[in-house]
Amino acid sequence: MTTFAQAVLNGFAQGAIYALLALGYVMIYKATHVISFAQPALMVCGGLFTYHLTTQVGLPFWPGLAVAVLLGALLGMAVERLALRPMVGKPVFTLAIITIGVDIVLRIFANRYMGPDPRIVTFPNGSRRYEFLGLSISHQRVALMVVTLLTVIALVLFFRYAKAGLAMRATALNQETALAQGIRVGAIFALAWAIAGGLAAIAGTFVAAGSAGMEQNTWIIALKALPAIIIGGLDSLPGAVIGGLAVGIVESLTAVYQPSVAPFLGANFALVAPYALMFLVLLVRPYGLFGTKEVERV
Amino acid sequence: MTATVTSPRRTTRPPRGRPRLRTAYRQDMALLNTPAKRRSTLLLVLAAFGVPFFFTDDLLLVFTLGLIASVGAIGLNLVTGYAGQVSLGHAFFLGLGAYTAAVLGGDPEGRLIGYGLPMWVWLPAAGIVAAIAGLIVGPIAVRLRGLYLAIVTLGLVFLGEHVFREARTLTGGPGVGRRGPDLELFGIRFSEGGSLFGLGLSRDQQQFFLALVFLIVFAILGRNIARSGVGRAFSAVRDRDVAAAVIGINLTVYKVMAFAMSSFFAGVAGAMYYAVVGVFEPAAFGLLLSIQYLAMVLIGGVATISGSIMGAMFITALPRIAQEIAHLFPVISTSTVGGGIINVFQFEAILYGLLIIGFLIFEPRGLYGIWMRIRNYWKGWPFSY
Amino acid sequence: MKQRRFITRAVAGASIAALVLTGCRGGGDDSSSEAGPGITDEACPDAVNEDNGCIYLGAISDLTKGPFAPLAVPITDAQKAFWQRVNEDGGVGGYDINITEHIADAEYNPEIHNRRYQEMRGEVLALAQTLGSSQTLAILDDMKADDVIGVPASWNSAWDFEDQILQSGASYCFEAMNGVDWAVENRGVEGTVMAIKYPNDYGGDAAAGAEAAAEANGLEFVEVETPTGQDNQAGAVAAVLENQPDLIVVTTGPAEMATIVGGAAQQGWQGTVVGSSPTWNPALLQSAAAPALEAMYFQAGPWGPWDTDSEGHEAMREALDGVTPNDGYTAGWVWSYPLLAAMEAAADMDGGITRENLVAAAGELEEVDYEGMLPNEAGNSAGDPSEVAWRSSVISGVDTEAATGVTITQELTAGPTAEGYDYTEPCFALN
Repeated sequence: MTTFAQAVLNGFAQGAIYALLALGYVMIYKATHVISFAQPALMVCGGLFTYHLTTQVGLPFWPGLAVAVLLGALLGMAVERLALRPMVGKPVFTLAIITIGVDIVLRIFANRYMGPDPRIVTFPNGSRRYEFLGLSISHQRVALMVVTLLTVIALVLFFRYAKAGLAMRATALNQETALAQGIRVGAIFALAWAIAGGLAAIAGTFVAAGSAGMEQNTWIIALKALPAIIIGGLDSLPGAVIGGLAVGIVESLTAVYQPSVAPFLGANFALVAPYALMFLVLLVRPYGLFGTKEVERV
Repeated sequence: MTATVTSPRRTTRPPRGRPRLRTAYRQDMALLNTPAKRRSTLLLVLAAFGVPFFFTDDLLLVFTLGLIASVGAIGLNLVTGYAGQVSLGHAFFLGLGAYTAAVLGGDPEGRLIGYGLPMWVWLPAAGIVAAIAGLIVGPIAVRLRGLYLAIVTLGLVFLGEHVFREARTLTGGPGVGRRGPDLELFGIRFSEGGSLFGLGLSRDQQQFFLALVFLIVFAILGRNIARSGVGRAFSAVRDRDVAAAVIGINLTVYKVMAFAMSSFFAGVAGAMYYAVVGVFEPAAFGLLLSIQYLAMVLIGGVATISGSIMGAMFITALPRIAQEIAHLFPVISTSTVGGGIINVFQFEAILYGLLIIGFLIFEPRGLYGIWMRIRNYWKGWPFSY
Repeated sequence: MKQRRFITRAVAGASIAALVLTGCRGGGDDSSSEAGPGITDEACPDAVNEDNGCIYLGAISDLTKGPFAPLAVPITDAQKAFWQRVNEDGGVGGYDINITEHIADAEYNPEIHNRRYQEMRGEVLALAQTLGSSQTLAILDDMKADDVIGVPASWNSAWDFEDQILQSGASYCFEAMNGVDWAVENRGVEGTVMAIKYPNDYGGDAAAGAEAAAEANGLEFVEVETPTGQDNQAGAVAAVLENQPDLIVVTTGPAEMATIVGGAAQQGWQGTVVGSSPTWNPALLQSAAAPALEAMYFQAGPWGPWDTDSEGHEAMREALDGVTPNDGYTAGWVWSYPLLAAMEAAADMDGGITRENLVAAAGELEEVDYEGMLPNEAGNSAGDPSEVAWRSSVISGVDTEAATGVTITQELTAGPTAEGYDYTEPCFALN
């Protein structure tokens, strides 16, 4: 039982990272209908911003994270302005391929910065752990979950009450109508990318503060958010969070139990368990758990 | 289709002196529907057969791989370009073909399972196995659309990679890999240098010829599918599937058919490609490969056969192009670390990314678009401006 | 719009021109001389010794996007420094060595590896580096046809059985045996031995060694495969907690090892961990796993780390002055000695340095002057692998003061298992 609860808890914490990343994907998708494959690079860069600010500039962790989020947002906006704005109105898959190009370019610079060593962000009291009911979890993971929760609340409030949030919802619904209502759609695109960049920076920072820091290969983590957004529904913010957590938990449980329960699935089935879950969900709900059903006109 | 009711067979040829006048559907839909196309295609094919005598072996290898990748790109264009079902799962079908071929054609004495069958068995078999997988996957496309379909097919790639990693007696497993089958047809061993039709040819020259013939066969097949009723049904599904269903196109049948045909092309292309490459690992069939094929279609030109070929040649040669351009800049240091902002290898990788971005931003219709403009320019010459 | 068209055309034109210009068949075969490909009487570009001819060596590595780029870049730089030093000492047999002209980035992909080899096959004498097992296999047939020898960038046991591959140091397989033997003797290991490995040749080779050693010591053996990525280690951690091994032999990357050891330790596991050189990175000492690593981590390596006191280490530190110490440098440096020895031997042969003579010389090497980094007899590759293969490893422990975070706790030793191992075939077959 403890093993099970611990696995769920670990998965929940890991899922928080996926949830943050998934929220970024969903933000961009809602505003521009593009799946951004540049998210891994934004995550890596965000983590490195915090690393640089805390180790080289000398900021403490939390102010460092705040500045890194701002820098991540700026980076997201820059990507949107330089690579994607010229392509407004072009097929979305063309845009998706462009984001891949962006990802390659950004990651080369990030790799150059990193070199051969993992870049580890030191979390204050990082190795200390909370213990309860036989379970244990590190301070860093608890902070991650709290930050994720706060971020989600902030986003919900933003969409419900802020003017820009409303404008963003309008744009997501119909770009032309939004334009006719006096909403600057271009600015909304930039805002979406800025938020996605900021979210990626939070995720990246907590990855870099994790067990072994940010390495050249760490970017792959960001791809795990892809099944998460499909499970949750491409255009649903709560869906992204639930999808992210579901992926984290399923992955953790599969890693712990699959080798003994279902060895025929091969070693390390946990790697693809999120995708298997995604297939299952889509069999039942073709637009994910919370996705909006598309209405087709003839 | 049946527009030739009033016109007997002779109308398949336009009237003399009016090559562009169409008097029957059939003319419009002909394989090569203008004289210019006929002439230029002939010329191009002839020129292609001359290529091996002008280029070095290392470059020929790039071209050979490009020609084979073209077949895979045509396959993806069938499902994504013509039928409008965006698939990120192409890598899975390519891998399925490659491993089918490697197992059927592989060395029976080796450590891994191999049956040592000849090429005329493993090549079609690779296509058929992939096509069957396409038949199974196809129905998902009936239920899902757009990005959902794209990401689900992406899931297929991840699941496929897992299977390839784990089936070690078939694939060799990660880090080790296995060898592709030998290229031997009609007693000619293309995997070794030797004489062909009395000419002493290197291995790469021979493989180039084989790949060229392979592409010609499948390009004609692809074009024929595209211009037939099936191809037009695909386009109808792509443009508005609900409307297509209303006019009597069975969506399920055609979507599944598109996936099966596309996968067949992918299967044979995968088999040939990795037979030329030699050793390959399960990691080859990941997300990146799928994306490369999608880029071939997008950069080449959606829903065109010639575009698929151009795109495939371009993407296959892109690392080499980036490499050559990178070396044109003497400012960039050739050291592996330090020295300047970035070194030549990082510059190569960045150029690769930038070329993809640049092409799509500046030429969204792809290489085919550039070709169209050049053609239109010369059409109006000397009065073009 | 006009502007854009121009740019597109310029890019398209330039790229096509660049390709066509470089690839003309039969045009000016410039680099060949009487001695054959890769060796010219003209001086190298930026030569140290203007009067010397030039030998070109190729290096096919993983320099930007591949998974081994973090290690491959220092390896490659060390090799550049190594050959630069050879040139400064006067070169070999009247030639300077150039390795910078033909360095290629193959992204750890056999396909690109093959392409890159085809590009350089007519222009290099030998390969100063060919990184990766399946990658090297992809070109091995061509290398044999071309009489090209190569230096691998791994310690795979299969290389002991390939004549044209010049490896140095004990393979992962012997390394794991020595690690287990050492732990049994010095850390009082008596329960279960667990091998946690990547599902590839590196992991397979070491796990085979660990299994042999566990058997020889009468210990129970469990094997767990784990994928790359620190986010994917939950299964391995769970396996450690479930089996409660006394000793873990890890063959993963540094991040994975730290995640597993850190994770298991936080949930109460204690024991001994033995890694291999690619398992370690000194930056891990800043991670949350540092206390666990300091207490439990040891590594079996083929030779002493960066700080070691020997003539060769000294020369390396001097040649690579100013870099952040990393044992990738050490590896790249040591691996180059046998190739140098083979070239020196070939220079004394009839016909001087040619590809053919180099192959012959490499097959007859009985010792290599490693300048104290390894004993000279470690370079013996003449004869049956079961007799000449090098079986000794160094055991190092964590030392926060050391430049690369580890110092030697036991000098080069071959444990009883490795000594007695019947080495008639590779521990982990590649073909």
